[in-house]
Amino acid sequence: MGITRRQFLKWSGVSAVGAVAFNGCLIPEQELQIESPVFLPEDLVNGIDNWYATLCRMDPEGCGIIIRVVEGRAKKVEGNPDYPINQGKHHARSEAGLQALYHPDRISEPLAREGDAHVPISWDEARRRIVDRMAGMSDRSKFLLVTQPLRGHQALLASEFVKAYGGRSMAYETLEQVTLRRSILEVFGQERLPVFDIQACKYLLSFGADFLSTWVSPVKYSRGYGELRQGSSRRGLHVQVDPRFSMTAANADEWVPVKPGGEGVLAMSMAYVIMRDGLGDQAAADALTGGGGHEALSAFSPDSQQVRDATGVEAGRIKELAHAFADPRNRPVMAIGGGSAGAHTSGLFNLRAIYSLNVLVGSVNTPGGIQFNPPPPLPELSTTDVMAMGVPASYREWKEMDRPQVLMIRGVNPVHGLPADANFRAAVEGAEFVVAFSSFMDETTAMADLVLPEHTYLEDWGDDVPDPGPGYQVIGFQQPVVSPFHAGTRGFADELMALGRALGLDLDSRLGLANVTDPTMEDLLKSGAEKLWEVDRGSVRASSFDGFWNGVLQRGGWWDTGTVDNSGIRNISPLDTAWPDISISDAPGGRAFNLVPFVSNSIGDGHLAHLPWLQATPDPITTIVWHTWVEMNTRTAEEMGLSKGDMVVVTAEGNRTVEAPVYPHPAVPPDTVSMPIGQGHTAFGQYAEGVGVNTLSLLAGLTDSSTGALAWAATRVRVVKSNLSIDIPRFEGNQFAEEADEQAIIKITKPE
Amino acid sequence: MTTNRISHKWGMVVDVDRCTGCQSCVVACQAENNIPINTEDVFRQRRAIQWIHVERYWEGEFPDVRARFIPVFCQHCENAPCEPVCPVYATYHNNQGMNVQVYNRCVGTRYCANNCTYNVRFFNYWEPVWPESLRNQLNPDVSMRSRGIMEKCSFNVQRLQKAQRVVEGQQGERLTDEKLKEGNYLPACVQACPTNALVFGDFLDPDSQVSHLKEEHLDGHGRGYKMLEHVGTEPNVIYLKKVDIHAKEVVKGHA
Repeated sequence: MGITRRQFLKWSGVSAVGAVAFNGCLIPEQELQIESPVFLPEDLVNGIDNWYATLCRMDPEGCGIIIRVVEGRAKKVEGNPDYPINQGKHHARSEAGLQALYHPDRISEPLAREGDAHVPISWDEARRRIVDRMAGMSDRSKFLLVTQPLRGHQALLASEFVKAYGGRSMAYETLEQVTLRRSILEVFGQERLPVFDIQACKYLLSFGADFLSTWVSPVKYSRGYGELRQGSSRRGLHVQVDPRFSMTAANADEWVPVKPGGEGVLAMSMAYVIMRDGLGDQAAADALTGGGGHEALSAFSPDSQQVRDATGVEAGRIKELAHAFADPRNRPVMAIGGGSAGAHTSGLFNLRAIYSLNVLVGSVNTPGGIQFNPPPPLPELSTTDVMAMGVPASYREWKEMDRPQVLMIRGVNPVHGLPADANFRAAVEGAEFVVAFSSFMDETTAMADLVLPEHTYLEDWGDDVPDPGPGYQVIGFQQPVVSPFHAGTRGFADELMALGRALGLDLDSRLGLANVTDPTMEDLLKSGAEKLWEVDRGSVRASSFDGFWNGVLQRGGWWDTGTVDNSGIRNISPLDTAWPDISISDAPGGRAFNLVPFVSNSIGDGHLAHLPWLQATPDPITTIVWHTWVEMNTRTAEEMGLSKGDMVVVTAEGNRTVEAPVYPHPAVPPDTVSMPIGQGHTAFGQYAEGVGVNTLSLLAGLTDSSTGALAWAATRVRVVKSNLSIDIPRFEGNQFAEEADEQAIIKITKPE
Repeated sequence: MTTNRISHKWGMVVDVDRCTGCQSCVVACQAENNIPINTEDVFRQRRAIQWIHVERYWEGEFPDVRARFIPVFCQHCENAPCEPVCPVYATYHNNQGMNVQVYNRCVGTRYCANNCTYNVRFFNYWEPVWPESLRNQLNPDVSMRSRGIMEKCSFNVQRLQKAQRVVEGQQGERLTDEKLKEGNYLPACVQACPTNALVFGDFLDPDSQVSHLKEEHLDGHGRGYKMLEHVGTEPNVIYLKKVDIHAKEVVKGHA
């Protein structure tokens, strides 16, 4: 069900061809009957609403959305039924984009630091100050541009700007997917993230990936998941190997609570059993072990004590999992991994072992398995430089980066998100001049010398090459659906182009826009679209460029379902058979627990903590809102004399502490506690400030030995009861509830 | 709304086996229906308003533990316990099978919420407040509820009214499920749901998806059930049972 494509085309009105009204001011023919005074027909005059297709930028997933606009104001976000990634669906986070647009704490004009305060200045003055600084820099490599991972033409523009100027750039993501990307590259030889075909899968084994909630492309995966469950006569199974009972684990048929860090050992042990018992693909087994067969993996035999210690999973259970995964009756099967499974000192080892399971059972380049994404249709969007803009820097790179002299930050908040050991705050303080493009006064923006308020994505031009794509070429187009709410905001891309001109960087000709006077992002997108028009294939084709341009804006993008990459794996890379180094940071005093931080289902990694709808959205497992909490096993909490709402002091290595209330529930492994990240803002508007604590501040900064990515799940903490107790704000208990006799609220049944 | 020559029976089929508990429906509903911001304080006072909410039920102990999710909203009961207790007819059953709430009749006795089997009626204990700029987002088709008024899921009746005006007023045709989709009548929650756990339609239209699901699942051989049906409320919402490979039979749950 959902909106049909036909219906959507009926709705779509775009600026260039004039808005098409979905519903006019009409009053239906009346019959003679008594009317309820509630519905006086003469009062019923509806406004005209227009629907514009654009892109959601609340998450890296990049869903296609359509916005209902009434009288120049955006009213509602709906999924774009045409867009290949989300097909008409969207997440709670997409919905809240409207609150970012109309947020009372949005910065509405450029600000410059004077002493401890920021004072308003004009855009001309702001640009003059930047040009003064940048033009006069003796060593231009001391210029650093920090953005979120960029894709499409924005990545092209930023990359050309940095190259033309001679500076550097780094992409920031709070829990960076560096290890995931590297494992995909090493196992499958793919620079782009692949398609996980959950829809057609019948046995899905997920290690640590909270794919229904926040991991990589959750709307797409959720859509597929509904089909896996009830889309065909054979219901697919889902097993979640996870140290935390996440929302995804709660939906699984089986939850295997693994010891943090032991995910890779578990996968290797499964591979050992599959090879030893002659299951799986023999040729792949040979390639994975360099011809050594299961003997090469003997260290990972499930019967060994070392494996049991590392994973906390019984030998029998591992053998069952291995047999189920390799059972031809369960095909298609797929193993995916990420999240906390990759956030260890052995992160790359873990994810390589997990993804190699697919190679072992032949689940690559098959329906219901792992498929590859083709490169973007425009070659200039897939050059090494442009692709690099989309890859976040690793924690090690942040820690070891050369201190910038001039720092330009766009739309990210590393001061809040990077653990203190990265010294990012010191880098900002040490820089001579800091410019922040931002809509909100968050912790990082508050430290800037110059604050440049950006349009939100609903007011600005853009495009996106989704990564992961849907298995074929897609370029999504983002158009302004409302005129800027504040007169004093500008688009980041437009301003970067203007800066390029003011600095004499010859950016316009580098971007192929030399024949346009003072080009903007819209011109850059149009020049890209013109090349797409010329290839004359895919979802939108037209006899004129204008027709094509209107078409891609109406449908929210361009895609070509015929561009499938069926190449498969060229070379199988052998497994790393040496025992991994699983280090955990620890602290003295109190009862020890493994800490599993997790990304919030609503506020994400904290970049959405300023939106009241999302703060008020209950966490699926605990129903907690507006807070940070410590999940602990019910019995463990009883042993420690803790009950719901009791405050505890959580201490990590280096005497880092936070204080948060305990929420005991039955699905926490007894030796584990978990805490959501993203709160504890000291700046970020009225809805974020003073809410909860910053869980990331506990992390000691261990990294994956190969990739340098932050090992954010490799922390052991000590928990001590404090003498305070609070009433945790949550939805649970909002209504009086009692156990229903005989009639369960949720009825269950065995599968047929 | 305006005519009684047609009758529909709007209802929903909720596949609990598809629901992942992701809360997309919850925020979609808040956005569509101008629901006041649920502040921290509102939650602490147990007065949060969520017309649709996801209930989570625990079962078992570690490691054999389950959490199950179910979206709960007004069941639009045929035999609604909330209706006869309203002294001012603020809540009544319309000719389309919906339980509707007339805000400007409501005097705030809260009898209806007291009598509701499903705890899906919400009372406005305060005047709703939004910062001035956030008011720009408010849906012009949905009236604001002031302090002292009861509110609840309306199946997005404002979207139905729009659709009806187009299809029946303009084209003079019966509003079938097919017509309806073209005229855009889907509640916001259904439109958002990423796993398609929510299916909405007209039970009187034999070709609608809900009718097909009802036929397939409700006559003793499928997964269909109605929530707390022994109470006799005759809900217009059908739930499809959660499938559990470990299930023996029906289990008890508690919030």
